[in-house]
Amino acid sequence: MMRILADAKAFGKQYLRSRTGTFFALIFPVLLILLFGAIFSGSGSSSLPLYVQNLDGTPTSQAFVFALNKTQILIYNPIPADVNITDFIRENSVSIALLIPAGFGQNVSRAEAGDPSASVTVTLYGDPTQSSFGIAASAIGGVITGFNFNVAKAAPVVHMATDTISERGVKYIDLFLPGIIGFTILTTPLFGMTGICAEYRTRKYFKFLATTKLSKAEWLLAKIIFYVILMFVSVLLILATGVFVFHMDGTITPVAVLLILAGTVEFTSLGMLLGIFIRDQETSAAIANAIGFPMMFLAGSFFPIDLFPDYLKVIANFLPLTYLNEGLRATMILGNDTTALVDLAVTAVMAVIFFVIPARALSWKSK
Amino acid sequence: MGAVIQVRGLRKEYPDIKAVDGIDFEVNAGQIFSLLGPNGAGKTTTVEILEGLRDPTAGEAKVLDVDVTKDYRRIRERVGVLPQDFEPFDRLKPREAIDYWADLFDHDLNEEQVAKVIKTVGLTARADTQAINLSGGEKRRLGIAMALVGDPDLIFLDEPTTGLDPSARRELWGVIRSLKAAGKTVLLTTHYLDEAEQLSDDVAIMNKGKIVARGSPEELIGRYGHGTTIVLAEAGQAGYDALQARGIAATLENGNVLVHVDDISQVRWTLAKLASIDMPMKEIYTRRPTLEDVFLRLVGARMKEGVLAT
Repeated sequence: MMRILADAKAFGKQYLRSRTGTFFALIFPVLLILLFGAIFSGSGSSSLPLYVQNLDGTPTSQAFVFALNKTQILIYNPIPADVNITDFIRENSVSIALLIPAGFGQNVSRAEAGDPSASVTVTLYGDPTQSSFGIAASAIGGVITGFNFNVAKAAPVVHMATDTISERGVKYIDLFLPGIIGFTILTTPLFGMTGICAEYRTRKYFKFLATTKLSKAEWLLAKIIFYVILMFVSVLLILATGVFVFHMDGTITPVAVLLILAGTVEFTSLGMLLGIFIRDQETSAAIANAIGFPMMFLAGSFFPIDLFPDYLKVIANFLPLTYLNEGLRATMILGNDTTALVDLAVTAVMAVIFFVIPARALSWKSK
Repeated sequence: MGAVIQVRGLRKEYPDIKAVDGIDFEVNAGQIFSLLGPNGAGKTTTVEILEGLRDPTAGEAKVLDVDVTKDYRRIRERVGVLPQDFEPFDRLKPREAIDYWADLFDHDLNEEQVAKVIKTVGLTARADTQAINLSGGEKRRLGIAMALVGDPDLIFLDEPTTGLDPSARRELWGVIRSLKAAGKTVLLTTHYLDEAEQLSDDVAIMNKGKIVARGSPEELIGRYGHGTTIVLAEAGQAGYDALQARGIAATLENGNVLVHVDDISQVRWTLAKLASIDMPMKEIYTRRPTLEDVFLRLVGARMKEGVLAT
């Protein structure tokens, strides 16, 4: 145990003294979430098609639609009043739709007359994981505010509700945060370990270590201990950013802790497994990029797998990161520990496999 | 003194080359033993077999009475290793690196013991400097310090001074001599002839996987370094041409003209003859044979930075 802790301590000192490693492990994920969050919540300048079903049909609701169209952010497209809006959305692949309920004009008129109980809610349908949804929500929110001030004399008569047309009723940022955590658990240990294997091979540290009592399994365990600590610090920073900046609702559950632990073991070990084939820094970068980049996208770190075409969904099922991302989303956002436990089991099994292979197959000796 | 290393019929073959071609040697306790030869001679392959890092194709390799191909673990703590082209961990300070390396041998050194190891290699003033900021010589000294953490009986130093400037090389020679003074056995590989001559009790000259000569530097020089060399310092091409014109065999080396005299009784006469020839030179002196002369005679080529001159 002394050897493992000594190696973890020495490795940690070197890692943290190298500012590049610290940046990518701790600061980059926070920057990423700030960047994506800002893009998502900011208003874009391009026009979006907004499908509107106006069940009210009064001049007041028509004025509201006119105001929406006038924003130049949203382009009005009508949905016939006699169709089911969700069926229409599905059949026409509509990404954003707004339902103006019957009674819209009547409630505004009551508000104008001073009735404090007057209230009407328009419903925005869309996929919160799409940035267009956020842009549309911001634009409609602005119109509602203006409408309440100018038409209803500052009475907050019109409200907006959102309804998801994806399977999960969560905000984009809620979905995104576990993805960023998964992304960080993939990239930091995987890219780190492939780089370390390249450095240790070219600088002959493996040979040097082979003259000591430290075994390959102990060396790998030491790296895992360090990366587990680093990943928990990184996750806390990511969560703090999500909670304080974007008001996310995700929680760290015991299953999430186990997933982070198993995921870190999995990808640290995978990095060493790839290290078997690495001869120098160039091959290290090539192999890590070839494995890491497709996986981070195809495993649903940034986009829900539900949105993928069927053939990509099949590929995603074979990617270890998929189970980490899905498990973290299930337990942290949806509170579905049953699903998360299945993902945890898959992640843990892969972690064991990835650990055992390099601990046995990677040779520190020369041929 | 007993043999610390015993090598018999050691071979290491690859599909395209015989890296080590049936060598035999012994290293006695308390000696500095040098494997001397050009790059590719088989020195490092031999040492790595003895360090348990390579498996031989055939032959016997015993270190501290243990067959290293089967049971290197048993002697791991009694052996210190400085690998070829050693580079320390960039971001660790010498004090931390030594403490870390000792832990990997299950030696829990206290601060005083760490300081003592650092002092042995003369790095006390740089003990808290990250290794990336150490000079080349300081890095190698740190490597030797790491090899010493377990107070080993035997230390392998694989080309410890390669790439260092002359001053750093000489500083490192002092460290290596101090290891011998402390009773350690040192197996040194080098392609520097002067280094082997200065440091070694025993030398094995390797070329193309074979040991071509073996003995103390004095024995080798006595056996193979016949005669005396007269050096016409800075005589240059003009001096060389002047001797050629008079039918005197000479070689031109680094601006100096060298005349080899086999029979020592002819040295005085030759000196007088050379002094009488009108040619530019800074001084004239005699030089006893060196390992370099031995190497030239045995291998048929001079060696510079590990490469044989063609």
